[in-house]
Amino acid sequence: MLQLCDVSSHYGDLEALRSVTLGVGANQIASIVGSNGAGKTTLVNTISGVLTCSSGTISFLGKPLEKAPPHKIVEEGLVQVPEGRLLFPYMSVLENLELGAFSNRSRNALNRSLDEVFGYFPKLRDRRKQLAGTLSGGEQQMVAIGRGLMARPKLLMLDEPSLGLSPLIVSEVFETIRRIHMEGISVLLIEQNILQCLLISDKAYVLENGSVVLQGTGQELLANPRVKEAYLGL
Amino acid sequence: MRSNFTWLSDFIMGHKKSFLAAAFLAILCIPLLPQNPFYQDLLIQVFFWATLASAWNLLGGFAGQISLGHAAFFGIGAYTSTILYLTFGLSPWIGMFAGAGLSVSVALIVGLPCFRLSSHFFALATLAFAEVLRLLASYWRGLTNGGVGLLIPHQVAFKNFVFEGKLAYSYVILAMLLGIFFVSYFLKNSRLGYSLVALREDQNAAESLGVNTNRTKMISLVISVFFTSLVGTFYAQYYAFIDPDIVFTSQISIQLALLSIIGGVGTILGPIIGATFLIPLDVFLRGWLGGVFSGMNFVIYGFVLICAVRYFPYGIFGWLKMRSDKFLTKSALVFSSPGAGVPVPDANEPCRQSTRCEKPLMMVNSISKRFGGLHAVEDLSFSIHEGEILGLIGPNGAGKTTVFNLISGFITPHSGSIHFEGRDITSLGHAHRFCKQGIGRTFQIVKPFQSMTVLENIMVGGFNRVRDVEKAREEALGIVERIHLSHHAMTQSSHLTLANRKRLELGRALATRPRLLLLDEVMAGLNPKETEDIIAVIRSLPKEGITILMIEHVMKAVMALSDRVMVISSGIKIVEGLPEHITKDKRVIDAYLGEAYNATAV
Amino acid sequence: MLEIILQLVINGLLLGGIYALLSIGLTMIFGVLEIINFAHGEFLMISMYVTFFIFQALGIDPYITLVIIIPSFFLLGVLVEQVIIKPILNDPPLNQIFTTIGLGLIFQNLALLFFKADFRTVKTSYSSANIFLGELIVSIPRLIAFLLAVTIIAGLFVFLRKTFTGKAIRALAQQRRAAMLMGINVDKTYSIAFGIGIACVGAAGAILMPLFFVFPTVGSLFVLIAFVVVVLGGYNSLGGTLVAGLVIGVIEGFSGFFISPHLKEVIYFIMFIFILIFRPTGLFGRR
Repeated sequence: MLQLCDVSSHYGDLEALRSVTLGVGANQIASIVGSNGAGKTTLVNTISGVLTCSSGTISFLGKPLEKAPPHKIVEEGLVQVPEGRLLFPYMSVLENLELGAFSNRSRNALNRSLDEVFGYFPKLRDRRKQLAGTLSGGEQQMVAIGRGLMARPKLLMLDEPSLGLSPLIVSEVFETIRRIHMEGISVLLIEQNILQCLLISDKAYVLENGSVVLQGTGQELLANPRVKEAYLGL
Repeated sequence: MRSNFTWLSDFIMGHKKSFLAAAFLAILCIPLLPQNPFYQDLLIQVFFWATLASAWNLLGGFAGQISLGHAAFFGIGAYTSTILYLTFGLSPWIGMFAGAGLSVSVALIVGLPCFRLSSHFFALATLAFAEVLRLLASYWRGLTNGGVGLLIPHQVAFKNFVFEGKLAYSYVILAMLLGIFFVSYFLKNSRLGYSLVALREDQNAAESLGVNTNRTKMISLVISVFFTSLVGTFYAQYYAFIDPDIVFTSQISIQLALLSIIGGVGTILGPIIGATFLIPLDVFLRGWLGGVFSGMNFVIYGFVLICAVRYFPYGIFGWLKMRSDKFLTKSALVFSSPGAGVPVPDANEPCRQSTRCEKPLMMVNSISKRFGGLHAVEDLSFSIHEGEILGLIGPNGAGKTTVFNLISGFITPHSGSIHFEGRDITSLGHAHRFCKQGIGRTFQIVKPFQSMTVLENIMVGGFNRVRDVEKAREEALGIVERIHLSHHAMTQSSHLTLANRKRLELGRALATRPRLLLLDEVMAGLNPKETEDIIAVIRSLPKEGITILMIEHVMKAVMALSDRVMVISSGIKIVEGLPEHITKDKRVIDAYLGEAYNATAV
Repeated sequence: MLEIILQLVINGLLLGGIYALLSIGLTMIFGVLEIINFAHGEFLMISMYVTFFIFQALGIDPYITLVIIIPSFFLLGVLVEQVIIKPILNDPPLNQIFTTIGLGLIFQNLALLFFKADFRTVKTSYSSANIFLGELIVSIPRLIAFLLAVTIIAGLFVFLRKTFTGKAIRALAQQRRAAMLMGINVDKTYSIAFGIGIACVGAAGAILMPLFFVFPTVGSLFVLIAFVVVVLGGYNSLGGTLVAGLVIGVIEGFSGFFISPHLKEVIYFIMFIFILIFRPTGLFGRR
């Protein structure tokens, strides 16, 4: 479904990604793990077109996307839920969600999508007039994921959804991700909190210093002591 | 690689003094060249605008504070001397300096608070200010004769600053031009000059190196306004008539900025070149195109301005420099002074001999910082001991950079205190004061001063302790060798590879002679060899009396270098201790990898 | 005395509505593109001249010309943004400042060239008409101008709140990267925002024409008022700009009456500098 071949990209001067090759199949949950500075956010921003990739190819459902502008990529159904949520703080929950359905493809199904999102997050229905900037961390994460779902994604990328959240909320988030997957949406998960992540992943890649150093199924990597090494530099 | 012109530049360098003297005499003869009044007047105009443009450039080009209201000070100069002359018979020579004094005072009162504003708003404020003065001058008829203007009677006498013919005026304005030229020249090559460029390029980096950015801006403001005001008096005396719409008009403000931009902003010769090209061009175009197109010159100016900032941001001077750089070469190697190591920190170094000492160099007590609803740092306490390397690690968003910013003076904590060498520095304020105390830092995203060479970058740091330019250069040479950049000492820092920029960042901070050095992710993006190299440099620092606090994600480096490690997550300190113990600590592993990881891992 | 004060308040509010419309364009442009349009006054001037010449040639009332002005100035804004502004959006402030200054120079001096410094004005059949509320006089042209201005501003608010494009503009101003990830075409949205800003100032010009006179440097006169309003209202708050416009209108009226008509500008410029120094976020701004 999503295939990266030999993708390199720069962040300022830094060669943040070096020849990354990875793929996400249809109906899969794939994850990318790695410590800080490994290049995870650069990777997901390169896929989304926010950063340009200096070499390599990115194809989604057979279409080459490495040169496409960000709004085209969203139009194709490749949607990112950014790190740190990045909600529109002075707009209401409802407005944030509506904006999620900005692309032409999703705009027609707006009301249906809205119902679905409230189905995932019933608490949001009550808070829909509230300004997004005033919500708690967990609620904001729900809005962020909901916003991503409003775009009717075929592949949803989540960048560190557990960042700054309490363990209880983190479990809820991962549960939601599983449910989304069960509805037929493929997921690409970027995480530092690798336990929960690897538990639900079909496929996983370990990123270190901009390169893929390990890959395998979620279970395989959980059992692999090298993963812990890569994180803690042992 | 020798080329045809190096013999010429060598020759000139060899006989420097005589060439300069000859050039100076030649310049003094220029006013004698034109034979008829038209060309004499043209020359005066060129000198006049060159001086104004140079004065503006000092503030706008060098210090990076863009003013759209310099006409305000031009007008104050013109009106002050004229009013004093007409009312009290005071010689305009004295009135000129009175006007300059007034301009400077006004500039300080209004300008200083405006430095806080962002560039766009600073420009706006200056524009509004000049407009206010124009309106006030029109309205306050009792003082300025309002829109009718003031006329200076043609009573020729030296003390009246009124001359027969144009030659004397020519020399006066030339003197002013030479004045601003020499002031700019000496400034540029002085400690202040380095501070100015640093400030313009990156204010935060400059502050972290001990540059008092506010004072630096103030000094360039004062000099800029002083000369602008002098020229205002000259204008009044030369044209013998002033009114508010002539001297306070925004067209003057824009024109003098425009000349600098086209000539080359931020260079000494740029404004002079701009004036030399454009003023005669303007005069001839107006004459040639005739009365019908008399307004056309400003339309053309407008186009030129838009194209210049887009396609020729370095102006004519920049373009010339690029062409000439192809002909002239610079030597790549620099001879470093023998036996120069990293300059040792002065005062109170009781623990220099031993690398471990129990006296805390810095004590942080319960500091907290909130950004809106986010608790970036919560009730954090720790100490750093002299001579140690303390590693600071933690997952993404943990608050590590906020801690750095708090202890280097870039932000102030809401609560808690910071003590350094026994002194309370919590509310010191500006970052440059922290640097003066002995706290140096690098930045996660390296910020070299792009237009300076490696050596010059390091010198900016050196100026934190040293006032003399030569001494700073000497010390910088020593540091350059220390960080393995000797081959690149004269390279412009924008041409360096990432690893070299990281080295430069380190060297620059070292030049400030810190007692405590904060390193922010120095290893990020380096390959293993480069990482090893920098680790070796860092490892040698405590022996020189420099204590280190480093944020790192490259675990191998943290383990290799740190004496102790502190782990932060979500703004709270989780654990601190020896590196070997940290990696095995359950709480750390939870924070990084997720809870219960150990339970499922092998 | 009370009647005088009430009269001043009414006159001030009526004028303030136009000031608000004039300034809202600036607020939009700064809020979304984060540049100050130093040529804003010149767009006002162009609009006033266009309105004048249409009136002279075709006898069409300025308030009807509005219908043509708004869309055509929108297109003008889009054009200017694509050709001149877009290339320097990521450049240092020096380039951005002098690009719009250069633009202003060109417009102003072309006008000087073609139209000379004469003052021109539009006189309609109702130019001097008044209605009377008890002791108070309300000038009809001013009233119509105020109503039109307020209607346009209200329309803008509705557009920004209810339409997708409007929300996209607000989103872009609040959180740029997230807006990109929503599928919002940033480039296009910048153009639209700039276009709307220019359309607003164009409308202000048409509305202002019957109340004032046009000359090539009229822009400079009004743009500084606009800057004061924007800074007072909080340079990223549209509601704030509206309120600030009304406040400035009233202040101008009062200071013109109690101090001097010539000094009214000085008064609010001084206010302007004070606000910039002491409360740069304005009354309603956030950041």
